[in-house]
Amino acid sequence: MIGLCRDRNGDFGYPEYSRREGFIKIMRDFAMRSAAAVLIALVLAACNDPGTGPAEAGNVYRHSIDGAPSTLDPARAATVYSSVVVVNVFDTLYRYKYLARPYELAPNLATGFPEVSGDGLTYTFRIRPDARFADDPAFPDGNGRGVTMHDLVYSLKRHFDPEQRSQGAWLWAGRIRGLDAWGENGADYDEPVEGLEVIDDHTLQITLTEPYPQLVYTLATGFSALVPREAVAHYGREFGVKPVGSGPYRLVSFDSSLARLARNPNFRREPLDLAAEGFDADQHGEFGLQHLDGQSYPFTDRLEIHFIQENAARWSAFSSGEVDNVIVPNEQVDSALASRDPVEFKPRIRERYHGYAGLEAGFVYTGFNMADERFGHHPDPVRDEANRALRCAIRSAFDWNARNNTFYYGIGKIFPGVIPPVVPEYNPDKSRESVTRDLDRARALLAEHGWSADTLPELDYGLISGVQQRQMYAQLRAQLVELGFPMEKINADTFATFGDFSRAMKNRRLDILFLGWTLDYPDAQNTLQLFYGPYETPGSNNFNYRNPEFDALYDQAATMQPGPERTELYRRMNDMVIDDCVAISGLSRTRIHLWNRNVHMLPDQEILGGFFMRFVDVDRASGE
Amino acid sequence: MEFLQYTVRKLVGGIPLIIGVTLISFVLMVYFGPDKTYELLSKNPTAAEIEQVRTQLGYDQPFWVRYGEYLKELATLEFGYSDSTGERVSSILGRTVPVSLLLLAPGFVLGNLLGIVLGLVAAWHRGGWIDKTIMSFAVVGMSISFLVVIIAFQILFGVVLGWFPVRGWNVYGPASYLHYVTVPTLASVFVTLGYNTRFFRAVLVEEMGRDHVRTARAFGAGAVEILWKNVLMNAMIPIVTRVMFSIPLVVISGSLLIESYFGIPGVGKVTYDAITSGDQPILKAVVGLTAVLFVLILIVNDILYKVFDPRVSLGRVSLK
Repeated sequence: MIGLCRDRNGDFGYPEYSRREGFIKIMRDFAMRSAAAVLIALVLAACNDPGTGPAEAGNVYRHSIDGAPSTLDPARAATVYSSVVVVNVFDTLYRYKYLARPYELAPNLATGFPEVSGDGLTYTFRIRPDARFADDPAFPDGNGRGVTMHDLVYSLKRHFDPEQRSQGAWLWAGRIRGLDAWGENGADYDEPVEGLEVIDDHTLQITLTEPYPQLVYTLATGFSALVPREAVAHYGREFGVKPVGSGPYRLVSFDSSLARLARNPNFRREPLDLAAEGFDADQHGEFGLQHLDGQSYPFTDRLEIHFIQENAARWSAFSSGEVDNVIVPNEQVDSALASRDPVEFKPRIRERYHGYAGLEAGFVYTGFNMADERFGHHPDPVRDEANRALRCAIRSAFDWNARNNTFYYGIGKIFPGVIPPVVPEYNPDKSRESVTRDLDRARALLAEHGWSADTLPELDYGLISGVQQRQMYAQLRAQLVELGFPMEKINADTFATFGDFSRAMKNRRLDILFLGWTLDYPDAQNTLQLFYGPYETPGSNNFNYRNPEFDALYDQAATMQPGPERTELYRRMNDMVIDDCVAISGLSRTRIHLWNRNVHMLPDQEILGGFFMRFVDVDRASGE
Repeated sequence: MEFLQYTVRKLVGGIPLIIGVTLISFVLMVYFGPDKTYELLSKNPTAAEIEQVRTQLGYDQPFWVRYGEYLKELATLEFGYSDSTGERVSSILGRTVPVSLLLLAPGFVLGNLLGIVLGLVAAWHRGGWIDKTIMSFAVVGMSISFLVVIIAFQILFGVVLGWFPVRGWNVYGPASYLHYVTVPTLASVFVTLGYNTRFFRAVLVEEMGRDHVRTARAFGAGAVEILWKNVLMNAMIPIVTRVMFSIPLVVISGSLLIESYFGIPGVGKVTYDAITSGDQPILKAVVGLTAVLFVLILIVNDILYKVFDPRVSLGRVSLK
């Protein structure tokens, strides 16, 4: 019986509690002491981070960015987030001028631009003799050694070593004589490559298989950063989180929230020449850069790069002064801007911060899987034309202004085709018909080619799980329903991750794709290659566009130096993409930057990645 | 001796549980998990290059071979390297787990202790205005989204008042620890307190109506004595069960929102990133170790039953 007046010991009264309480007391004391010991151990463990400590002396620039890099190994620095850190830890032969727009290359580790042979096949590069890697235990005596051209050769070879899982090999694949074969034949680093001849420690001759005008651009990307072989050997696979380079900063700590960098004392460069960097007093005068002219950079002792994906957290961190800059998130645009066109900041924002609005070096666009005969390429010319009409009708039904106003606060720049405004080959006078909604024309096209609600194909729209992606899908579907598509024929194919989405795309399982592209270099070839037939999936031609005429022009332009003739070819290719209605394109987003007034910089990270950070100066004495 | 036998028996009995959990999670990871192949490839890869990456990731191996490898990794605690960063998984866990524990421990302890205290007070005043007030606040706490609480607290304490940092984790001693842990802890307590109070009150109210409590009152015992000795101690089994089994969730998943929004490099954020990017070495380690943690907690839980209820035998549960 569970006694009426018994406790769980089955006894009346309290004497039993004394034994029990004694036991509980012992256990409680033990638990408390254990908890205290564990807590102390945890504090010690959590503090055992070389980058953690009380505020150090010296200037620090605290940069915020909306994503985190997964690796800092230049061979796999494929994202903007990686690149921002990589170009500060490592050196590249070239960089872009800080302030000049359109973007212009400038020597970085190189002493000048290369000497190019008459046939455009041989490039001779020279680098500074005083460059040194940062001190690191990876080196025999812990002191960084001098940088040589052997390091560049080693770094380029790594991209062709299958073990390295390079994501930058495409920049040089098939371009440098013998480099591809070196990788296919076992990737022995002691074996020479015919096209990479080290003349002396500071001179390298690169021999190409055919002229490659973009070669110098490729040597300004994070992928081309110079890596010391002994550091890769020392850290092995962990080189991606313990990088060692010869850039202006060295990495102190790195995790999913923050990268801390400190000035690399071995870094040497000529003082900053503002005029050579493209300084224009009218454009840049208000940013307080003038006093930096003639000074040696980097100007800050430390960098903190905060990876803050959540807009609200990033904005709060900026508002509280914990980070020095922010790209204004959508939901804060109205609180920051007095006018969207032209972009003007509210007085209270202008009083507290510097502001700058600039176009991204890239664009967003939507396209069709042309390998699908239901609406893409078709061997029957009549059906092929009907399919083209269907794609053109969908494009005409698409409302770019609605897309811009809904998702890009109405300040994105809509342009026709796939040559975005940021590259020199952009044609501002191009007809805007392909980006202008015309529902009547769209319906007429469908009727003319016999498309009806019954015959229209079902379309799978691929998207990565997320609110905004689904909203974009819903917007497109509503517009297509207006065109005459039955709603049930526009389906969303949702993927949990970009990897899954990418797998479906590369295996041609999606019909309509919404994509974004960030330029690797300011040359329209970088976007036109997205439509080059031989690059169809799993290559970068995700829409599987095949047009022999386009491909012939691409091949012809590939070896041409920049100039009006090449621009003309680029524009003809752009016309083909527009005429064939391969893509619904495009829009370049406008980034609105704000930064504290005591920070002297222009934080434009388009194309430049994190190059600008070496030129940032912070005046902490003037307050936050 | 009884304790040792019991522990060994439980550990052995936990092996099928671990195998079951890891098998199910491995099936989910392999057949429904993300595929990293195309994320790791350069542009314009050849078929051979695609196959090469699949081989490096182990995707070309039969299921049972991969699962066997996984069990071996779990047994040796050697999970290899992250597919994304290249960092050793054991280093990642060694770096992030202490941060998460330090971050969440105060909120976890305070949330439960305050929940018990408020539950006791509400139960003692059952039906009165104190009870209703406490329960009303509990409902308010339960009704507000954790995300909203986090953002509101960041703005209030970080931006408006400026007392604490909005985000970050630059901990190098007790003072800096308090500096960075306070706002996350307040947010965590604010949200969990409602749930905890409601649960503990329900358990304590049930205990309050038992005969031995009435008897204690008849003996003339005071309120504190009754609540402590007769009510709380006798209600400890459901309380301990709830608290213990929430530990793995707190350690692994409970910290995700806090770590993301407060920019704290803990294991919750690492796990979330691994899920979204398909970083299987990290996922395998976290899932496997969580299963082991559950088994260990089962054992500790049973021992605590014995502490709080001497009738419980570690050999078998019986009523005297």
